[in-house]
Amino acid sequence: MELEHSFSVPVPEERAWEVLLDVERVAPCMPGATIDSVDGDEIKGRIKVKVGPIQMTYAGTAKFTERDPAAHVITLEAAGKETRGAGTASATVRSKLESAGDQTHVIVNTSLNVTGKPAQFGRGVLVEVGGRLIGIFADNLAAMLAAEQSPAPQAPARPEPAVDTAAETTAVAAAPADSTPDEALPIDVLNLSSRAWSSLRQDGIQTLGDLTRRTEQQLRAIENIGPASLADIKSKLADRGLALAESADRPVTPAPAVPADVNGSRPAMGRHAGPSETDAGEELAQVTPLRPARHESVDAPARHEPSTWQPPDNEAIDLLGVAGLPVLKRAVPAAAALIAILFVLLGIRRRRARHRA
Amino acid sequence: MIPAKFDYVRPATVEDAVSALAERGEDAKVIAGGQSLLPLLRLRLAYPELLVDLGGIDELIGVADEGDHLLIGARTTHYQVVHDPLIMQHCGLLAQAAGTVADPAVRHRGTLGGSVAHADPAGDLPAVIVALDATMLARGPGGGREIAARHFFLDYLTTALGPGEILTGIRVPKLGPGWGYRYEKFHRTAQAWAIVGVAALVRRSNGQVAEARVGLTNMGSVPIRAASVEAAAAGAQASPEALRAAAASAADGTQPPADLHGAPDYRRHLARVLTGRALEAAAGV
Repeated sequence: MELEHSFSVPVPEERAWEVLLDVERVAPCMPGATIDSVDGDEIKGRIKVKVGPIQMTYAGTAKFTERDPAAHVITLEAAGKETRGAGTASATVRSKLESAGDQTHVIVNTSLNVTGKPAQFGRGVLVEVGGRLIGIFADNLAAMLAAEQSPAPQAPARPEPAVDTAAETTAVAAAPADSTPDEALPIDVLNLSSRAWSSLRQDGIQTLGDLTRRTEQQLRAIENIGPASLADIKSKLADRGLALAESADRPVTPAPAVPADVNGSRPAMGRHAGPSETDAGEELAQVTPLRPARHESVDAPARHEPSTWQPPDNEAIDLLGVAGLPVLKRAVPAAAALIAILFVLLGIRRRRARHRA
Repeated sequence: MIPAKFDYVRPATVEDAVSALAERGEDAKVIAGGQSLLPLLRLRLAYPELLVDLGGIDELIGVADEGDHLLIGARTTHYQVVHDPLIMQHCGLLAQAAGTVADPAVRHRGTLGGSVAHADPAGDLPAVIVALDATMLARGPGGGREIAARHFFLDYLTTALGPGEILTGIRVPKLGPGWGYRYEKFHRTAQAWAIVGVAALVRRSNGQVAEARVGLTNMGSVPIRAASVEAAAAGAQASPEALRAAAASAADGTQPPADLHGAPDYRRHLARVLTGRALEAAAGV
């Protein structure tokens, strides 16, 4: 499946180039990804995908295969194998940077390939989900790049018009003055269950900042957010050093909508969906509110990525233990063949003996 | 293939099932007819640690008349739905659509609640449930709650049911007199999943369409109501031409999936054609 996403970020091209080449910072933009080890350019990691009852973990490597400053092209190749099966997934992500004054326009072309059982059984669902994950990846990448910008005043960012998808909208909210760069990140980086994620999104919560401005009670009032989801959200926020708002002393108001030129630093994020990206416009329209961020803190996604790695379960099956005696039946034809050969040999020997006699 | 190892309980009451589920959280999975979950287990695409079998809870089977609604138990099989006189009389659309689900073997084992809770975008019944404006009844550790069908389906195979919740029944409003219905499904082999399906309900009065409801199967990650078709059909003449014109917008705003069975454009075309057919049949023209 071929996908194309594009976004603009209000940072100069050299800066965007630098960030895009930092594997340790690029990798955590992929939802569900965890890093096992980093060796130079090559990064070993795993990615967990969960769709309803279906769950899969792919383990593999990602590395840069192309770095062409002249053509402004970076290519990242990732390939993984299912940890509990024979399926594979691979993606080639080619990012092309185009400088436009103080802004950088990034076009991300992805070719995604999923093989094995999940691909066959899922009737394409898993490929669709993979495409969606890459869409979220592009969003996170945009958010991280935008968080890179220096606090120095810049020319107002003009929203890039959405390329051709009618369902797209560009909703932009400004984060409050005390926000940290983490708060500008989309809630996708928490890797919540899709139920919790959808419910938060339906309630207008798009970024960690939106989330931390809510109190526990307010979250609980959202349809489908129960105690389990709440505990999950809280622990994942805590991993990033964030917490939900206190109920009384911090009145919660929706982030004020600020005209486009107020802080002059909002990323314009026209997104162009590839032909196969299936989910509703809402998903495509994901936009991350951002504001000037301090340079030293933008590593946060990489450092705070909660580690969800678990040792793979033993795949070996004790066949006798699982299936019991019936397995022995499989030996019957072989045993019968052996006995038949024995009879034939015996017959031959007897005949020879008779001949001699 | 042989599924990964799991624990199995078969409680006798909904309360026991809920507490068994609540104990194990996300590692537990409910099984009813097993027609969708068992293939997932055998292909080792799902690894629940505990299966809570609802097979011993008979209170979840059957259809009850509740005045202007029918209450259908979640464990009622497709076969029972197809042949139930109450369903046939008051929401025939559900019976007709259930008759198109997979093959007879699956219809005898598979349950209405299971099919809806599995939330497969290609499953026939979710779109029908959404078109019927049904209400889902769920029971969890915190007691029972009701979820409107249009808020129930969240994503591929994902519903509003919490990890400890069980779908116990579906409340379907009775269709009054004047309503016609039709479920149109397109697939290439008899028991296959719908490439696209359309559930249409039409209320006629004086040769006009007074009200129409259209639900689409497999035109996105969740069942969709074709609101623009519904608006265009309401007030239109009950004639083939008018209904086909109304059906022209059936695919607007949809993001159908691409797979071996069809490209998105093909699915959009199917949605328009099938919506026209379903509306005509439902309006009886």
